[in-house]
Amino acid sequence: MKIIKSLLAGASLALVASISQAATSGNTMETVDPEADRLALQSFFQKRFPQVPINDYVNGIYALDAPSREQWEEIEEFPPYEFDIEEGETLFNTAFANGQSYAGCFTNGGIGIRQNFPRWDESQGQVVTLELAINQCREANGEKKLGWKKGTIAKISAYMAYTSRDNVFDVKIPNDKAKAAYLDGKQSFNARRGQLNMSCANCHVAGAKILIRADLPGPTLGHVTHFPVFRSKWGELGTLHRRYGGCQKNVRGVPQKAQGEKFRNLEFFQTYMSNGLVVNGPGARK
Amino acid sequence: MKKTISLVAALMMISGSVAAQSFDDAFNAQRAMHGKGHSFTFEGQAYTTDHPEEVAAAVEANAANATKLLASAKAKYAEVLAVDFGWTLTKKLLKSAKKALEAGEFRKSMNISAQAEYHSRMGIVQYHQSQAEWIMAVPE
Repeated sequence: MKIIKSLLAGASLALVASISQAATSGNTMETVDPEADRLALQSFFQKRFPQVPINDYVNGIYALDAPSREQWEEIEEFPPYEFDIEEGETLFNTAFANGQSYAGCFTNGGIGIRQNFPRWDESQGQVVTLELAINQCREANGEKKLGWKKGTIAKISAYMAYTSRDNVFDVKIPNDKAKAAYLDGKQSFNARRGQLNMSCANCHVAGAKILIRADLPGPTLGHVTHFPVFRSKWGELGTLHRRYGGCQKNVRGVPQKAQGEKFRNLEFFQTYMSNGLVVNGPGARK
Repeated sequence: MKKTISLVAALMMISGSVAAQSFDDAFNAQRAMHGKGHSFTFEGQAYTTDHPEEVAAAVEANAANATKLLASAKAKYAEVLAVDFGWTLTKKLLKSAKKALEAGEFRKSMNISAQAEYHSRMGIVQYHQSQAEWIMAVPE
């Protein structure tokens, strides 16, 4: 009888769960609530990994998997991105042909500001990421745009992130246009795509710390805090949008454009989810 | 206790009836089990497990038909790219279909074009499904 009761209770719970899932909201401008989304995501991970402090999520999979963390900590003893930060600093401080520099384009001379990106820019009517702001700065000073995914832009971004370490992410959604961009990013994150029919959420929410072949996907909470990253697979530094494109290729989808509207909105959503966590970029990953 | 069992059973039956098998589910199950060219019935009607693209390719293999199918596959690929849901393999398939056409391997070209067009059509289906169902993946 005890078993029957347990089975009945289980069946009832499953029914209630499916009913509540069917009643989900948050997919329209009227119902979406970014702060509720952020708290729900934190709560999801807290329930799933109760032993992991929220602040540790900035370390990605290394917050969840002890053996991986051990290896990563050894790598961090001699960080592979160290020279990139130094080069990034030199590049950042090198004057443009017109005598101006990057410092003139950013608040506080570009130092310690990573946590404010991406931000909604009302005058441009779009989400502006740090990399986009770097290239806008160059263009405003008569310089050519840099490539979006690696090399110089990643090094400058790495230096700027480094000067912002331990600053708390504080992405703001000031109006409905910004909220629409957030909602678009939220949709992108959860929409299945590619021949494998998978979404970001498949691997980085439900699938976090579940093996995909030999790899353990990291949790989306804290995903953006350590970018740009030096990936062992790349053997060099790369930007977040380079990684986005790689993920989309992994599920056999044609990747969207780095710094296109879709990826910028996705970064806006993801970073808002990590509000309250600290900047710890650049990072090292597998 | 009996009342509880009946209630749960009734709820489960309602839940089951809501999730009755659609034609797409039936088609996909039959296709997975038997591959193409298999006949089956759904709600009293007879169907085959062939994709529309395979039906379109089941015509005489010649230059005109192969050219037409390749053009159709390219057009469908442009459609799926326009909604940003293309699949990576499709471009390679289109190249292979073109190469086979140029080599006079019309049957091969037509079959590959059919596969490429199917990929693009599925990408478009996926786009529409994603628009409607993405919220279901968000944790409560």
